Amino acid sequence: MQAGSRNFTEDMCPMSEIRPNPASLPPTNEPLRIAVRRLRWFKVAFQGFVDATGRDLGCTLEIDDVKLAAAFMRWLTSIEIQKPADKSQRKDFFEFAAALMLRELTADMPVKARGPATLADPGSAAAFWPEGYCCTMFCLSVHTAAMEQEFHAHTTLDPAIDDLRHWWSFRENTLQDASFSSGFLQMLLGHQPNWMMPDVFRARIQSDLTVQ
Amino acid sequence: MSRDAFNPPDAMPLREALRGLRFLLRRGGETIAETVNVEALPKPASDLASAMLREAGGLARTVDEMTSGVAKTVLGGQKSPSAPLKDMIGGPNAGAEFAVAVYVALSTVLRHLGAPTVLVSEAAARSAYGNLAPITAETSVEKRAADLTFCLLDARVMRGTTAQEAALVPGAALEAASIFAVMLWLQSARSQDENEAALAAATDMAVALAPEISRAVAGKDASRIEELYRRYVPHV
Repeated sequence: MQAGSRNFTEDMCPMSEIRPNPASLPPTNEPLRIAVRRLRWFKVAFQGFVDATGRDLGCTLEIDDVKLAAAFMRWLTSIEIQKPADKSQRKDFFEFAAALMLRELTADMPVKARGPATLADPGSAAAFWPEGYCCTMFCLSVHTAAMEQEFHAHTTLDPAIDDLRHWWSFRENTLQDASFSSGFLQMLLGHQPNWMMPDVFRARIQSDLTVQ
Repeated sequence: MSRDAFNPPDAMPLREALRGLRFLLRRGGETIAETVNVEALPKPASDLASAMLREAGGLARTVDEMTSGVAKTVLGGQKSPSAPLKDMIGGPNAGAEFAVAVYVALSTVLRHLGAPTVLVSEAAARSAYGNLAPITAETSVEKRAADLTFCLLDARVMRGTTAQEAALVPGAALEAASIFAVMLWLQSARSQDENEAALAAATDMAVALAPEISRAVAGKDASRIEELYRRYVPHV
């Protein structure tokens, strides 16, 4: 685990007492990497996660099914286009796929909060932007579960997740350019994103190599 | 006579006739109610028109009850065959099975899209299957599905789409997108328990792909439809 990073099993969002919950995802007989690319499973998983988050936050979160399906289809296309042929990059691409998922969800947000998050700490990311918070936690939860299943790898999070300034920047910048979301998720996963091209896998690899 | 030798009469034409009658009565009543302001008519014309509308409504309800009653008791239930398309094609009763599956699934898709009053013709679906060009063992299931998509469109398996304005998909794209959704679902791997969720997912995917489907259908581009099936069936 990186210094300063946190494991999902720990209480990592003291401001809101809400955390990603990979165990909340619906069961499937298929590997998660397959199931998540089936819209029928994705919809059930997303609906369940949004409902649970809404209960935790004390607000109703509504889903636009048409927008959700469109985001899912764009995500399929983007991972198909960017998937590397080199098998050694498979694990890295798993992480990147979660970042692309957040990009597509925030590009045309399928979740709408009806009213404020009454149960969330007023200074928390969840209270600040319930929709963005919910989509981010969903992507992190799917990512955590898939990484555990495929690579027996524990996901660790950057302390930036508790810093409201990052969430403020996330929301402002994503409204201008949805690709910013990809960088934000990579940052939460402890990476140094290539902010010029945060949603381009090859650019991310080069950026990581430069950092090393 | 042995039980095996007894072939029950084909109930499909009767079902089709009752559905057609129900559609006409419903649509007729809707059209009159939408176009004629009965309240504004002078007497005795308003009394006559009100009585006529009541009569039409009563008839439609009777046919509704008859259709569902007959379908459930005398003719047997309308459970959609859940076999994937690749297993259905080539079977001894493939045309009839395919038609029932298309009827039930298409009706569900249209409800999901907000177009529940469009008429779906089981007879046209059976005829479409009969018009499918001979296939070889090498023909892929996606190619067969693409050919069947165009056969269903040519056979006009859906009627009354032009009058439908409340749908999630614009009227002009409704027919192609709905049929695409059904064919996508028919090809997908799914358990009996997953049928409903898989059909809903296929419908959502067809809505997202509606402009692309419309372009391919308008250009009679079966290979493009085949490509879309190949690409998206694993993701239903």
